[in-house]
Amino acid sequence: MEGFSDKGIVRTIAGTCVIFLLLFLAVTFHKTDAYGEDGSPALGKKVYEERCMICHGASGDGKGLVGVIKRSEKSGRVLDVRPRDFTTGVFRFRSTPTGCLPADEDLMRLVDGGITKSFMPPHKDELSLDEKKAVVAYIKIFSERWKEEEPCKAISAAKPKWLGSKASVEKGQKIYKDMKCWECHGDDGKGKGPKSNELKDDWGNQILPFNFTAGSLKRGANPEDVYITFTAGLDGTGMPSYEDSLNEEDRWHLVSYTLKLMGVVK
Amino acid sequence: MHRRFYLKLLLVSSIALLAFALLAAYKEINPEWKHYQNNYKELFMKNAKDEAMKEKAKAFKVEVQQLYIEKLNRADRCVSCHIGVENPMMAKAEAPYKKHSGDYLGKHPLSRFGCTACHQGQGRATNKEEAHALEHDTHWEYPIVPLKHIQSSCAQCHDYAMLEKNGADKVVRGRKLFLEKGCLGCHKVDGAGGILGKALDGIGTQPRAYFPMRYIQGERTQSAWHKEHFLDPRAIVPESEMKASINDEEADFLATYILALKSTEMPREYRRIRQTETPDMSGEALYKKYCIGCHTTGRESYFDEIFNRTIPSIMNPALLKSADNQYLKKIVSEGREGTQMTSWKPTAAGLTEQEIDMIVEYISKDRPAAKPEPFDVAKFRADVKRGGELFNIRCALCHGKKGEGELGINLKNPVVQSADPEFLAVTVRDGRAGTPMPPFGKDGVGLKEQEIADIVSYVKTLSQKKL
Repeated sequence: MEGFSDKGIVRTIAGTCVIFLLLFLAVTFHKTDAYGEDGSPALGKKVYEERCMICHGASGDGKGLVGVIKRSEKSGRVLDVRPRDFTTGVFRFRSTPTGCLPADEDLMRLVDGGITKSFMPPHKDELSLDEKKAVVAYIKIFSERWKEEEPCKAISAAKPKWLGSKASVEKGQKIYKDMKCWECHGDDGKGKGPKSNELKDDWGNQILPFNFTAGSLKRGANPEDVYITFTAGLDGTGMPSYEDSLNEEDRWHLVSYTLKLMGVVK
Repeated sequence: MHRRFYLKLLLVSSIALLAFALLAAYKEINPEWKHYQNNYKELFMKNAKDEAMKEKAKAFKVEVQQLYIEKLNRADRCVSCHIGVENPMMAKAEAPYKKHSGDYLGKHPLSRFGCTACHQGQGRATNKEEAHALEHDTHWEYPIVPLKHIQSSCAQCHDYAMLEKNGADKVVRGRKLFLEKGCLGCHKVDGAGGILGKALDGIGTQPRAYFPMRYIQGERTQSAWHKEHFLDPRAIVPESEMKASINDEEADFLATYILALKSTEMPREYRRIRQTETPDMSGEALYKKYCIGCHTTGRESYFDEIFNRTIPSIMNPALLKSADNQYLKKIVSEGREGTQMTSWKPTAAGLTEQEIDMIVEYISKDRPAAKPEPFDVAKFRADVKRGGELFNIRCALCHGKKGEGELGINLKNPVVQSADPEFLAVTVRDGRAGTPMPPFGKDGVGLKEQEIADIVSYVKTLSQKKL
């Protein structure tokens, strides 16, 4: 044990201290580099403030300077379009079950593709992957839910071979009737059911049921998107999840019927 | 064997042929009108109170009746079935024996007017199907006008002031709706009106074949087409851009008025137009005529799904604060190329200078007294390149990469391009309250004045960019 003299111990301790100090400095320095003064990710903040804040507001409450946009439907009905309020942590377009937080992929998809009819523009070619990831991380600071909860597992949607077949469409039509889809979406799928005028979202604003004859869903145009809507519901709106009330096969039959309403199959 | 079969076949077909021939002969001898006239004669005899009447009834001769009106070039055989139209004893009878309702025939005697001048249909036909021409498989050009739209015919000779006084409420209300719902914003009549829709001169005399009947649910007639089209234009013409929030009752009135827009004219001695009405030239009336169809109340801007762009609120105080009447007049006169906004000058949509002035005065009537804070753009040395970068981040999401507009207005069009740079800079700085255009100079976005000047200089280059 000759090598461990008093001098050596002091040296070792001093060296360790220096290493720790350097490490500490590195971590601190790294933190100041990647995070803004208020502890939020700087890149995400920059992107958010340049691109998102004008509609979604500085505090993510959906009350940006642009404000409410009035939108007149082809039918002549005028409705208010409001930006998403991030402070509640409630999102419509998730691949996760109802009541859950969305997966990062869900948010990325919205940033990439935007939301048709809602004035949320696509950013696919506007932002780099890092910028998109940063902004997705940044919007999570607006709700405590992101600290308390973990996102649930995404719903898998594998479309069956018989999707859109005549028998499936017929079964779907019966389910459409039995589950009272028509109460909001109307017998003809044009969104003019008897309850269509009294629908409100969680924030108390009037909303309209989807008109299946007016193009693709806001979520997307694929049958899988319709299936996920039936399974996950659209949280915050009147569209519930049918995960518990319809089995998987029935939900796909219902998708078949909506494909008919949308004119995709005959 | 074979011979017998053919003999049998010959026999059967001969009998069938004979049966057809007999049926045809029977129909020829007993036409529809003869049946009605026989019934009428019976009814006449039964209702006759005194001997003279009975004699008259007895003397009634069953034969084809025809009214030939030389001046109108019409030969109407309608009275062959509607035989009692002039007989007061038939006031309570059923159709077709019934007397003509009201006392219209007093002032419009059959001998002078006939029937089809007002009711249309095929005057020469001698059976109901061909005369009324309402069935899907008849292809006559002019079916009979349903009674709920019959007032459309009154306007051939009478002016609307007279019609209003004398109870032709349907066509009068239809006209009022036509002038107040902004139909002329897209459709020309008498050379004045927008260019997005078809000109409506003579639409009331267009033959049935002019209208695409594929999606019509009811009768395939012009009047049914107009009504269903008013209620849901895109259900009848899928690619239509027509805006219509019209209820069932209004659709009936409007269809009546549309049918009154005829290209044929009654002979001068028939017409009773006295031009007692001077058109309402107030700014409000003109706004309703030409602007209200798209701009509605003018107080709210909204994104329109049909036009796929925002229709701006033109009576918005925030706009009026920075846009003077000269600029507004330029917008109205020149329109906005690249959008649905028509040019309204005399050589385009056909409004007079005076009318445009009246409209501009009307939309600017609530201009706030306060002027916007000045913005001395000339003070800055604008950097077009930097302006372009900022434009792509801040403006392109709404106004489009090339300024073609969607949620934001079209910035490429000549009127915006010729606008005073200060006007544009003030708009970017202060935004447009009441529209989605946010104030970019305000805290929260906080573009610096230099940056705004850069953006304005870039906007001024947008006219050079091709779509």
